[in-house]
Amino acid sequence: MRALFPKSLFPALMGLLAACAVASELRFPPPEFETDYTMPGITTPPPRSLAMEYVDTALLVTALGLAAWLVHRRRSRRGLVALSVFSLVYFGFIRTGCICPIGAPQNVALGMFDPGYTIPLTALAFFLVPLVFSLFWGRTFCAAVCPHGALQDLVLIKPVKVPLWIEQGLGIVPFIFLGLGILLAATGTAFIICRYDPFIPLFRMSGSVFGLTLGGIFLAAALFIGRPFCRFLCPYGALLRLGSIVSRKAVRITPDHCTQCRLCEHSCPFGAIREPVKLPVTPNALAPERRRLTWLILALPVLIAVGAWLGSKLSVAAAKVHPTVALAEQFLAGDKAPAPATALPTPETRALGRAAETAPELIAAASEVRRRLGIGGWWFGGWVGLVIGARLISLSLRPNRTDFEPDRGACYACGRCYLACPNERVRLGLITPAEAAALQAHAPVPRPDAKPS
Amino acid sequence: MTAPSLPSARADAALWRPLRATVWITACLAALAVLLLVVTHHRAHAHDPLKSPELAALKQRLLDEPRNEELKQQIRDLDLALRRSHSRLLNFYAFGRWLLLGSLVSFVLSAKAWGKLRARPPAPRLSPDAAERFTRLVRLARLTASTTALCTLIALTAIVVAATSPLPSAATDREKLLARLRGEEPEAPPLPPLAEFAANWPRFLGPSGNAFTPVAPEPLTFDAASGDGLLWKVSLSLPGFNSPIIWGNRVFLSGGDAARRSVAAFDLATGQRVWEQAVTGVPGSPAKAPEIPESTGFAASTMATDGLRVYAIFANGDLAAFTLDGRPVWSKHLGVPQNQYGHANSLAVWEGRVIVQLDQGDADAGLSKLIAFDGASGRVAWQVPRKVPESWASPIVVEAAGRAQIITLAGEFVIAHSAGDGAELWRVQELHGEIAPSPIFAGGFVLAVSPNDKLMAIQPDGLGDVTKTHVAWHADDGIPDVTSPVSNGELVFLVTSYGLLSCFDVSSGKKLWEHECDTDVHATPAVAGNRVYVLGGKGKVVVVEAAREFKELATFDLGEAIFASPAFREGRMVIRTAKSLLCVGTPPASASGGTSP
Repeated sequence: MRALFPKSLFPALMGLLAACAVASELRFPPPEFETDYTMPGITTPPPRSLAMEYVDTALLVTALGLAAWLVHRRRSRRGLVALSVFSLVYFGFIRTGCICPIGAPQNVALGMFDPGYTIPLTALAFFLVPLVFSLFWGRTFCAAVCPHGALQDLVLIKPVKVPLWIEQGLGIVPFIFLGLGILLAATGTAFIICRYDPFIPLFRMSGSVFGLTLGGIFLAAALFIGRPFCRFLCPYGALLRLGSIVSRKAVRITPDHCTQCRLCEHSCPFGAIREPVKLPVTPNALAPERRRLTWLILALPVLIAVGAWLGSKLSVAAAKVHPTVALAEQFLAGDKAPAPATALPTPETRALGRAAETAPELIAAASEVRRRLGIGGWWFGGWVGLVIGARLISLSLRPNRTDFEPDRGACYACGRCYLACPNERVRLGLITPAEAAALQAHAPVPRPDAKPS
Repeated sequence: MTAPSLPSARADAALWRPLRATVWITACLAALAVLLLVVTHHRAHAHDPLKSPELAALKQRLLDEPRNEELKQQIRDLDLALRRSHSRLLNFYAFGRWLLLGSLVSFVLSAKAWGKLRARPPAPRLSPDAAERFTRLVRLARLTASTTALCTLIALTAIVVAATSPLPSAATDREKLLARLRGEEPEAPPLPPLAEFAANWPRFLGPSGNAFTPVAPEPLTFDAASGDGLLWKVSLSLPGFNSPIIWGNRVFLSGGDAARRSVAAFDLATGQRVWEQAVTGVPGSPAKAPEIPESTGFAASTMATDGLRVYAIFANGDLAAFTLDGRPVWSKHLGVPQNQYGHANSLAVWEGRVIVQLDQGDADAGLSKLIAFDGASGRVAWQVPRKVPESWASPIVVEAAGRAQIITLAGEFVIAHSAGDGAELWRVQELHGEIAPSPIFAGGFVLAVSPNDKLMAIQPDGLGDVTKTHVAWHADDGIPDVTSPVSNGELVFLVTSYGLLSCFDVSSGKKLWEHECDTDVHATPAVAGNRVYVLGGKGKVVVVEAAREFKELATFDLGEAIFASPAFREGRMVIRTAKSLLCVGTPPASASGGTSP
């Protein structure tokens, strides 16, 4: 049982339960008639103190450093699990998933394009530090520091392999989501990466029905599919993937030689371990692939141009997300067919009333938002075309691998493959070389549920 | 990965059943917690205390009885009860969340432990065909990526196509909207010059209102059935008795019934229908159309145009403006006119304004009024009440005695209003009966018909009641009851409903000749060049010379009933029959036109 319930899990569980005490509150308005009671004025919750922001940043850097050490030096899956539990509790349930690096690109984009917005130092740090770490040590943030990844990783009970061709094909989705998130954030329209984050409502234990349902769906999927959000949607993961591809250090299944027993491939629930592929002996065999590659490279500018043109047409639809545009459209629709007056004003009617008083300013502001989205749409559409083209090109390149090794972009550095490797176990002194040889020969092992003789 | 020793295998086997039971129990507990939360949420949503109808009703009562202390106490009590209920709901939510979290954590931990016991060690097989597998994999991956890309492009295209917004995208439209919201007058394009106005047929009975054009169409005779003498003929699906109007190369007319009202434009050269727009969504227009006698119909009033827009009014009180290319500009509902035969007064235009003579009800009811609308915006420029009963005559706007005057007939009166502000200028009390013939302005006189009674010539330079001072002459023979007089400026022609055509001298009122056309006539005749066209109700066409001596030029049968007055432009005559719209004329290469008087 000790092996099944590691010591670190119990205090973590207690911490998790304690963190859940931070429950949201459903608001109820005060009575609307006069009494002797003096209603307190509306106050805005004070921002998190600067010291605590530094603490958050320091904890992030420390956790990332610890994760890098656990992945590359200590090579400890157990240590990574413990760190995941800490990250889930602190960055997830205590900090309620905010601020997190996944949404930070939006802050950076808004800070770059809106002179009136000053990006918080913490947001900048949360955006940059994991990226910098990925350039040196791969996706150590995903390994054990990201609360989203930690939650999905810890609840994975029966991994089902997703065919690699599906994963490779759907790999463009996170990049498109990233582009859309940056477009809407840069134009001050919305932070959709945060709005549609499936796990934030779970961390806060409150939210809209849609948010909670989305979170429940992803959590249920995560029981059987390794990290579905990270693999198929996470926009920050898309950035880390790029950083990890060129990182200085990559995850190694074993520092020793690879015996090509395939046991590591079976241990990875994310399908991130690639088998050896050799180039054909005769170079002529690659001729069709070279032709395809040439055509795809030539098609790349066309894809970018088509995407950019299409993206520029998105401004009308995308602008509807912006509250100013939404109010302006509601006002203009009401301008044609005025809504009947009600005795008791609602927030909507009040907003429309204000809109009527400042209609020219509202329309001008809404038009400006749409203009900015029209310009941004070119870039977003071009980005989509680039992503599609680049993915098709990357799928037309033939690697030359001699050993089983993790895909640098797809590996989450979770450490599961370390102890799956017989040579690694021998290196750590857990088994003898003879036992390793037996494992490599796939000797039958008695089932745990078999009745002892 | 090592094979378990016997003691540990026994321990694992002992844990197998309890762990499996724990997994199922915790899973059921989690499902139960989810179910409870969902059901509670739906119940709370259905019985939202914030939307309590009782509380809302009490608050509404409080607005009427602000001093009612007992009512206030009731609200307080109900409010407290609702708060307590809400608080219990929050507590239940909190309990459900804890239950769900605890059961989920237990489920995951026990399921992981159980899974470890169930796990079978992997037995992967080495396969030598890695290169082939890789080729197959990337081919499928490319296919998936392409499909994803295609779906993305389709989704983006669908979003682009489906997105509509009341916020204008074009800069010019946006500027117009902003100008309107700021209360600024939009910069109106200039009105066409008067010469262009005179070259067209912009309203009922033409630019002068005399149904006169200097160029007669050729050939003299024509036939609807064979098409002889016609440039084109198109069938009409729009019911209506209004006459066509012409501006440039477009012929406009309206039509409608109880179900729908619409406006259509035809190409003058070919007769091809260029556009047709339904008049729908008029703010305030009743969904159920009023009952209008079929003899008048919903579209008896002739349209008018100022060269920038066309205007149409219908018997249900809807007034609409369209651009010449059919784009709706504005529409208004003026109230259902109280008119026993249905509204039939045609529209007039003056300096970008559209004039509506809305005579209705009895004179004492005070419902009648004359309204000038700004053509561009539809705003009321001015409006004056008229103490007259319902009428069917159309107003004309004339420049006379240095004033722009709107001449109207209704009840017992000929009334002239100032076109600038609608103020009454002068009036003559000499009319009787139900006033349908419209006034004209010829030879310096306003000519008005008192149905079946007399034709009178009025000098338009008076002020106030000029009945005894400004009526130059009377004529009382051959007076119509429906059709209007027409004139070439020297002679005036009248035709009665039973077909008696009479000619008078404009300056003296002396009758010069008369002619029995032997047909019933409902359409006002027209003077084109030196010809007078009388269009019979059963299709008989009589053409006589517009001269002091009677001379019949032609009599023939068109083949289709005619109730509307024709329209002319550049030697072409457009006639609306009961079934079709046709154009008399010769192709441009051989067109010569008639002679001018």
